[in-house]
Amino acid sequence: MDSALIPKGVRRCPLGHFVLFLAVVGAVLLWGVFAMVLCWIKGLNQTNMNDYYGFALWIWADLAVIALGGGAFFTGFLRYIIGKDELKNIINYAVLIGFICYSSALLILAIDIGQPLRGWFIFWHANVHSMLTEVAFCLSCYFAVLTIEYIPLILENRQADKVPFFHNLSHNMHEIMAVFAATGAFLSFFHQGSLGGVTGVLFGRPFGFREGVFIWPWTFFLFTWSAAACGPCFTILVTKITEAVTKKKLVKDNVIELLAKISGWMLLTYFVAKTIDTWYWASVTAPSMGFFLSDFYTGNPLYGWWILVTEIVVCGLVPALILITERGRKNKTSLVVAVVLASIGVSLNRWVMVLQVMAVPVMSFDNWAMYFPSWQEIATTILPVAYGIILIGISHRYLPIFPQEKELNPVD
Amino acid sequence: MKIDRRSFLSFIIGGAAGTALSPLPAKLTDDLSIWTQNWPWTPVPEDGEAIYADSVCTLCPGGCGISVRKIDDRAIKIEGMKGHPVNDGGICILGLSGLQLLYGPTRVKTPLKKTSNGGWKKISWDEAIAEVAENLGKLRSEGQPQALACISGSDQGTVPQLFRRFMTAYGSPNYMCVPSSQDSYSITLKLMQGAQASAGFDIENADFVLSLGSGIIEGWGSPVCMFKANSACEAKKGKVVQIEPRLSNTAAKADQWIPINPGTEGDLALGLAHLIIKDDLYDKDFVGNNTFGFDDWTDDKGKSCQGFRQFVLENYGPEKVAETTGIDADTLTSLAKSFASASNPVAICGRGQGKRPGSIHEFIAVHALNALKGSINRKGGVWAVPEPNYISWAEPETDAVAQKGLQTPRIDGAGTEKYPYTKSLLNRFAEVVGSEGESPVKMLFVSGANPCFTLPDTGAVKAAFENIPLVVSFSSYMDETAKAADLILPNHVFLERYEDVPPPAGVNKNVIGLSKPVVDPQFDTKHAGDAIISVAKALKGSVGSAFAWDSYEACLQETMGDKWDSLNEKGFVVPDTAPACEKTYTTPSGKFEFFAAGYEQVTIEGDEKWYPLILMPYDSMRLSSGFIGNPPFMTKTVEDTVLKGNDIVVEVNPLTVRESSALFVKDGDYAILSTPKGKATVRVHLSEGIMPGIVAMPTGLGHTAYDEYLAGKGTNFNELIGPVEDPASGLDAAWGIRAKLANIAS
Amino acid sequence: MKKEHEHKAKKYGMVIDLDKCTGCGACMVACMAENNVPFRADETDKLLSITWMRVYKLTNAMPFPKTEICYLPRPCMHCEGSHGHSPCVSVCPATATDYSEATGIVSQIYTRCFGCRYCMAACPYHARYFNWWDPVWPEGMEKYLSPNVSPRMRGIVEKCSFCFHRYQLAMEKAHYEGRHGLEEDEYQTSCTQACPAGAITFGDLNNPHHAVYKLKKSENAFRLLERLGTNPKVYYTSSRKWVRQAGDNYLRDEKDNVIDKSKFRN
Repeated sequence: MDSALIPKGVRRCPLGHFVLFLAVVGAVLLWGVFAMVLCWIKGLNQTNMNDYYGFALWIWADLAVIALGGGAFFTGFLRYIIGKDELKNIINYAVLIGFICYSSALLILAIDIGQPLRGWFIFWHANVHSMLTEVAFCLSCYFAVLTIEYIPLILENRQADKVPFFHNLSHNMHEIMAVFAATGAFLSFFHQGSLGGVTGVLFGRPFGFREGVFIWPWTFFLFTWSAAACGPCFTILVTKITEAVTKKKLVKDNVIELLAKISGWMLLTYFVAKTIDTWYWASVTAPSMGFFLSDFYTGNPLYGWWILVTEIVVCGLVPALILITERGRKNKTSLVVAVVLASIGVSLNRWVMVLQVMAVPVMSFDNWAMYFPSWQEIATTILPVAYGIILIGISHRYLPIFPQEKELNPVD
Repeated sequence: MKIDRRSFLSFIIGGAAGTALSPLPAKLTDDLSIWTQNWPWTPVPEDGEAIYADSVCTLCPGGCGISVRKIDDRAIKIEGMKGHPVNDGGICILGLSGLQLLYGPTRVKTPLKKTSNGGWKKISWDEAIAEVAENLGKLRSEGQPQALACISGSDQGTVPQLFRRFMTAYGSPNYMCVPSSQDSYSITLKLMQGAQASAGFDIENADFVLSLGSGIIEGWGSPVCMFKANSACEAKKGKVVQIEPRLSNTAAKADQWIPINPGTEGDLALGLAHLIIKDDLYDKDFVGNNTFGFDDWTDDKGKSCQGFRQFVLENYGPEKVAETTGIDADTLTSLAKSFASASNPVAICGRGQGKRPGSIHEFIAVHALNALKGSINRKGGVWAVPEPNYISWAEPETDAVAQKGLQTPRIDGAGTEKYPYTKSLLNRFAEVVGSEGESPVKMLFVSGANPCFTLPDTGAVKAAFENIPLVVSFSSYMDETAKAADLILPNHVFLERYEDVPPPAGVNKNVIGLSKPVVDPQFDTKHAGDAIISVAKALKGSVGSAFAWDSYEACLQETMGDKWDSLNEKGFVVPDTAPACEKTYTTPSGKFEFFAAGYEQVTIEGDEKWYPLILMPYDSMRLSSGFIGNPPFMTKTVEDTVLKGNDIVVEVNPLTVRESSALFVKDGDYAILSTPKGKATVRVHLSEGIMPGIVAMPTGLGHTAYDEYLAGKGTNFNELIGPVEDPASGLDAAWGIRAKLANIAS
Repeated sequence: MKKEHEHKAKKYGMVIDLDKCTGCGACMVACMAENNVPFRADETDKLLSITWMRVYKLTNAMPFPKTEICYLPRPCMHCEGSHGHSPCVSVCPATATDYSEATGIVSQIYTRCFGCRYCMAACPYHARYFNWWDPVWPEGMEKYLSPNVSPRMRGIVEKCSFCFHRYQLAMEKAHYEGRHGLEEDEYQTSCTQACPAGAITFGDLNNPHHAVYKLKKSENAFRLLERLGTNPKVYYTSSRKWVRQAGDNYLRDEKDNVIDKSKFRN
């Protein structure tokens, strides 16, 4: 029925299946929307946040999706700036994932703030000293860039493409895409960094605080670095999931392997940098404030040494080693294991840099504070996931996201 | 014009783009944010002329001066009054919360009558007065005026005295007051000094304060005055030693905290006396010239009697006292030395806020210790503060019915041969009235008191209330007693009424204050003084003529006489008379009298076999445990180791749990606390600041009345304890009760 | 001397004598009553309870009977950081909280705050509170609300202001009377005024004529978390060493030595 909209030369599941799929995911989405409306109408008392956990699940989700969406800027950077031409075969998907991640981040922020209707004060009454101001500006600008990158893709839809104006617009936009990609990469280096700065500048929170250069704490660079390393891993992961769901090969192995290899080296260097940072923080920064590393990892039911080891070694060094070895990335299983670990690792890092910062007592007579999100928080956090799945579903069905699909899956 | 698809689309897209570029979205966005800044459901307090109105707080017997900040006719903040002799600008947490009582939802807004189904019906004041008068008239015509009883929160001041006068004119001896440690002190002063007085402690000028469980900075006596005195004492490098089993705030602030086996405070005082006498450290001048009974003596019949010296030397040796009190002999010795070597030492007792009376044994032992050092009626010591004498009304004339009624014995047995100095024994009330059968009390007035919450064995008290045919409450608030009443004649709250404020409790300040209306009455309430005058007038006859005043205000003005003007102007007067009685003693010997024997300790209720632990109450400034229920602000400050959700938290030493076979709990876990009187589910807070074997429970929680900010929070300690009569005074001397803690499942 | 100080910027601060503080809680209620702080039926979750002034209970962690308790009232510290960069002021994205160079007071603009709570994450003292609920007063009780402090709406952050409205009122009065400066007693916070034990002293830390100027120099004086460089304007004094040590975090080997506080001061 919708065959007129489906790109030529590809096979798609029957519309009925697709609608059923949309309905199931849509139900989850509606659950999230319900929770979101509750939060807006009744206020943030719907959450389990409190005065110790002003930042909680949502801010983590924000930081995590932005890190995972980092595949868009870094792949774009590699393709348009460095000139890794093979990556054109995955850039569309990276852009789409980025678009989903960033729009989700903005949505979550709109739920997270206590006065959403005053959200624009961040621009109007901007405080240039605040990392969050930097985040807001760069995030919005980059989201605009992602939208611009995503639009030509929409216009490539079979029906839209028939309109000469759209066809030409799309073509022209492709021509100048390098400019946008460069802008996007530049903006991303900044806002990924400023997200790292959000915690790093908190000199009242010895667990999060890092020294640095000029106004930027080390976390500024570590966040950019880790997003560049793990974002593409997430792009690979989502591509692999999409291939598994559609039961089709969509991107050629050499493309994936190239991206995996670059990610591997990024991850390895990140691992080294993060280890140095942790060591310096543990032996110089924290002790100067009167803290031993053990103060941060003992005396509470959750945050033990395991979290440090998991983040840095299991989800940092291990996937890095897998991805830099040819055998590792050529083996389908080990590749998937590596990209999963990397995605978990960066998410865990964001968790630690948000939630554990809040949990650690700073005043000597204060106590560890634990937190478990309310269902409204969980639902609103799952909401973007459902939204992402739906947008991927629709985009994949109707837009030529994967340039190699036709070649890899010839229709008889 | 033909509209095709293309032009339609162009119109829509163009229109949208045009709107987006117009100022409209910006204007809307701006308006929305302005709306969030002025949400109609967030109140905006009206501005107006700011003025201060001075008055005196009567929420406790502290008598603090207050300055109420007003905006037009609204009171917006209560502050301490600078320059007031009691509190000089300081103010306690309850006083600060006073406006929540004034404007709070627990106020009784009109006279109420209980309906047959337990609900309330609004009635007019005329109806209310008529109804009370009618019932009183009936009782009188039946020749049973003594079946009217009255419970008053205090004995001092014109309003309690008006109630007392009413009782006399009406013909009932059954006027009872809510007891406190001051009752025990009064009896002690009567016995040892012959004085009709209350005890006033000059902590400010003492250089060594030995507190046997008194919460000097937890609301004992006049709270703010005591706080200030304590700070002043410390500023002069005075020492405070706190003796009690729990690390209370007073203990925490004291120079030394010495835990003691509870209930053995009297033995400690006598043990210290032993050491002081043995080492010849007592004030020989005072003891030699002003006391009687120190050395052995011979009575009129020629019988030789043991003196105090011999008595303590024989019976209270340090080893023995160390064993009883649990305080080692060395500590006892050094404590005795410090007390004796101080120039102005003073010993004080009355546990916690001093709301509960105690055993006379303990009080006379402590008072004897003061006498040994001559700390009686002198700077830095304890003063016998005479009862205020500014109320000098002519005795009411009584008719035959009244005279007959007054001849009947008091239902509580106070003032009898057995307890000659005891004025009332409210602790016997529940037992006397009983829960079934005919009650000797047919009608009851309750004013300024909430016995259905504050009396021990609250369950029995409530049952007794149900057994009384007509209970009339004069409470301003829908408290437990008001809820149990049949008629409520709501009083103005303190910020709406005139009332004299007798000198503050527990201190030697001779100040009479005047509480003045700061705002107009908020509801259809009536001054309790006016209400009782109206009731009397409605009864006519001799009762009516005993109340010749037109109104309470006229009565007050007349009573105060020449003090009225300066009272009205300044808010307080300091009478010219000496701050306390002369150094004369009106005992049979004309001297301060020591007692050697004849007074015993009380044993608390419960069998150790079944109840291995001891449950003790503790008072806190953040919990109002008396007649006034905790306002929301105060409840907000209560720590989560005292109240968590609706659960009361009890303090227990970790050792108590470790050594118990029935209790396996971590900090914050639930347990069942049971005593011979009752059972409650509690949470356990493991604290090192309490003696093993003791369970400490906060007082002031467990209200069943009031609003959602107070009702249902925690457990009322009084439900878990019953009164234990002191053999010498008949007053309740229970300082705790045996108890058991067990896991929920067992 | 006096003239000199009239021109110097004021730096309002507090010195709280922990030896005097009895933990009675009067300061907490004095603050709530002065500043229209709302309350709810259940305030026992202290992580959700708005208490601009909160009294903490410290213990020395020794077993019975060597246990000791010390109460520590904690208002907003009005941190100066370095050059006015307090932990919270520098992070607020909407300039809704500001450091006044004239008074040293960290303000909060309720109508500008949009509730991102970054400042709360930044404050190690937990002095900042979020309005998770709409403030609701039982019927009739809104009568006692003061017009000098606007009640806060849901969804924004609030905190102790050192009763800044009192400063404004005092300055207004002084202005009408043609005076430029304020006497020490003309501007006092509500908690200072109420404390029945007289534990709190408030004044201009820069003014040698004010009591706080001398008190802050006591050898028993310390501030909370000085090592973080927050540079707070609330000083505490305690004669007990363990209390002074509890004011900051120390590594094991540091703790045994006598702590030289000046080392951490900027």
